[in-house]
Amino acid sequence: MNGMHSMRMTIQALLVQVSMLAALAPASAQEAAAPGADRSALDAEVQELRRQVVDLNRDLFMLEEDLLFPASTQVAVFVSMDTGTFFQLDSVQIKVDDKEVANYLYTARELEALKRGGVHRIWLGNLKAGEHEIVAFFTGQGTHERDYKRGATLAIDKGVGAQYVELKISDRLRKLQPEFVVRVWE
Amino acid sequence: MPGALLLTVLLAAEPAPADVAAGLPAVKVQDLHYGDVLFHFYQAEHFEALVRLASYRDQGRLAAHARDAELLRGGLWLSLGQHREAREIFERLLADPATPAPVRDQAWFYLGKVLYAAGLFEDSERALRSVAGELPAALAPERQLLLAQGLMYRGRFDEAVAVLDGWSGAPEWTAYAQFNLGVALVRAGRAERGLALLDGVGTLVTENPELASLRDKANVAIGYAQLQAGRPAAARLALDRVQLAGSQANKALLGAGWADAAEGGYRTALVPWLELHGRAVQDGAVQESYLAVPYAYAELGAIGQAVEYYEQAIASYDAERVRIDESIAAIRAGRLLQAALATQADGRRGWFAQLADVPDSPESRYLYHLMAGHEFQEGLKSYRALDAMAKNLTTWSASLGAFGDMVETRQQALAARLPAAESRLASVDIGTLNAGRDALRARFEAALAQRDVTALATAQERAWLDLLDGVDAELAAHAGDASLDDAREKARLARGVLMWRLDEAWKVRSWEAGRSMRELDAAVYDARTRQTASSRARQGAPERNAELGRRVAAVAPRVADLAARVESAKSAQERYLADIAVGELQAQRQRLDEYSVQARYAVATIYDRASAQGSAP
Repeated sequence: MNGMHSMRMTIQALLVQVSMLAALAPASAQEAAAPGADRSALDAEVQELRRQVVDLNRDLFMLEEDLLFPASTQVAVFVSMDTGTFFQLDSVQIKVDDKEVANYLYTARELEALKRGGVHRIWLGNLKAGEHEIVAFFTGQGTHERDYKRGATLAIDKGVGAQYVELKISDRLRKLQPEFVVRVWE
Repeated sequence: MPGALLLTVLLAAEPAPADVAAGLPAVKVQDLHYGDVLFHFYQAEHFEALVRLASYRDQGRLAAHARDAELLRGGLWLSLGQHREAREIFERLLADPATPAPVRDQAWFYLGKVLYAAGLFEDSERALRSVAGELPAALAPERQLLLAQGLMYRGRFDEAVAVLDGWSGAPEWTAYAQFNLGVALVRAGRAERGLALLDGVGTLVTENPELASLRDKANVAIGYAQLQAGRPAAARLALDRVQLAGSQANKALLGAGWADAAEGGYRTALVPWLELHGRAVQDGAVQESYLAVPYAYAELGAIGQAVEYYEQAIASYDAERVRIDESIAAIRAGRLLQAALATQADGRRGWFAQLADVPDSPESRYLYHLMAGHEFQEGLKSYRALDAMAKNLTTWSASLGAFGDMVETRQQALAARLPAAESRLASVDIGTLNAGRDALRARFEAALAQRDVTALATAQERAWLDLLDGVDAELAAHAGDASLDDAREKARLARGVLMWRLDEAWKVRSWEAGRSMRELDAAVYDARTRQTASSRARQGAPERNAELGRRVAAVAPRVADLAARVESAKSAQERYLADIAVGELQAQRQRLDEYSVQARYAVATIYDRASAQGSAP
């Protein structure tokens, strides 16, 4: 009987262990302690470093642009789209003065970002002042999953300041067709 | 005992982190660069989005979205865990009377979220309750959740329940709040209400894997709470709802066995316990099943099998202790983080499914269990952030060398090209061009004023007019000669026809001439502008280049300094994580020691009883 008593004590001990085990419950992403309860010096150091790294990246981003694409020659081409009901974009190819400068294949995630209002800077380059021709080819699927390729041409007169060109894909509801609009932003 | 159990069983659960600023209203982009930021933001590239946002903001390219951009900037800092920066931005937006109401509401919401994360629950509640209008659909439920949890952490359970009761939104959010509140109530000794809330989560019907995992967790919590309260049937009911392939399955199987055993069903208890017996022994539930199985056999009177399983348990515990020692050595040798970084565990869904497949090597064997700990998870997150920073700085460091070369090459090219450019510019005399244009305009305006149709004659018509002038002069020289009367008449007629044509063409020609004059004006203006710009560019080029050179030179030490500090923080973080891991493994080892002692004691007890009864077990 003494042995059985010990065994029962063991069970009790096990149950305590069970409770310990349950404390490791993987689904709990957070400790029982309230958020913000513990911020170690290491965390503070990581925060400070991250702030400085972001600031440094900002400065370097601007420096790189000023160096590689000075405003006097800078031209940027952006791609935007609205709901994309009539056109499922696969890729965009950009030619400037008959020379290919960008050929971009979009991922599903990028397309989703475009549909939510994101605008993709597909090309950032340099052009001399004067007349230039920009041609964009959009490849994808139109209605009824038909392959679809369309081109749009724009003649720009590059001035002394940076120039931005938007290639906008939108739905033309009246014709149930996609529409490709090229717009130069001042 | 139930209190002690639940204190440890019932941990707060949080939904997987959503996009911090996902609820921002869809913006019709009015600045292309703002759209570029959103392009990265919507792909959850928060660091990249923040860097671009900060750059474009400083370059003045976000004027049309100034306040939206600030809100997003705050949200991005928040998503990176930089609460101080986020808080400053939201407070600044709220202090600005020009901030429109919808932006203000979102700023209050995010400020509430920052304060909540900092543990300032009263301030957080005040901020969250300051939202006056309707928040975007993606934010409203989170506000409710934060309010309820903030109240819960302050022990105001009834108010927290009221906040949740008033919520009729999607269950994805309320389930987490319900779970946490249920936990808190049980811990506060209000088991009935708490269990009812947990039961609500435990009986959720869902296809969502995250919610299904939360449901499992609720059922395990209910199961153990009921077990402790001496209600094994209710415990079994909840534990049976746990998915067999989920992360809670082992705990549920162990608990289910205990529920059966508590009602004397040792044979049925063996079913889940033996199922556990075949699973990976580093799991705590499996380790316990090694004791539970022989215990059940002993209770059923199968003493021989009981001894056999106890001996198996002792051998398994010994082997596991050796493996733990190997793992501790591997962790001390710095191999843990390599293994941890090799997994894509980023704090989001899929951690455990993925970790279940990690190689069974000393450095990775216990990752699954280590990552279950909040402290280790948070530490690993910081380590990953430092690792990403280090890589970022290494890339920039390489680019800076190229930038320096570029500035130098440009300086040399400029010096070589400048004389030719200056000579070309000097050859263009804008003054002469202007004077020529002005003279032409004066003639055109005089012709218009006098309606001088001959002024716009074509070259051919001009030749005819000259010819007629010559004929008229000749005829005038022979004014008295009657034989020339016929010629005079023809000359008069010819001039009349020519003038008629010129008159007829006047309207069109004067309009065209006007247009040509305007085009000429524009061309002269362009030439003048370009010359000025070229001249300015030429004059400013060396200074700009020198300025770029200075910027490259100034930023290089910053990169080097930060890289060194990041490396040092990485090392410190690595040591910190290794300490946590080793501490955890040592605790496990100690637990195994205790289990082993219990198993040996049980075997000895059985042998004692057998020898007392004079029979072999």
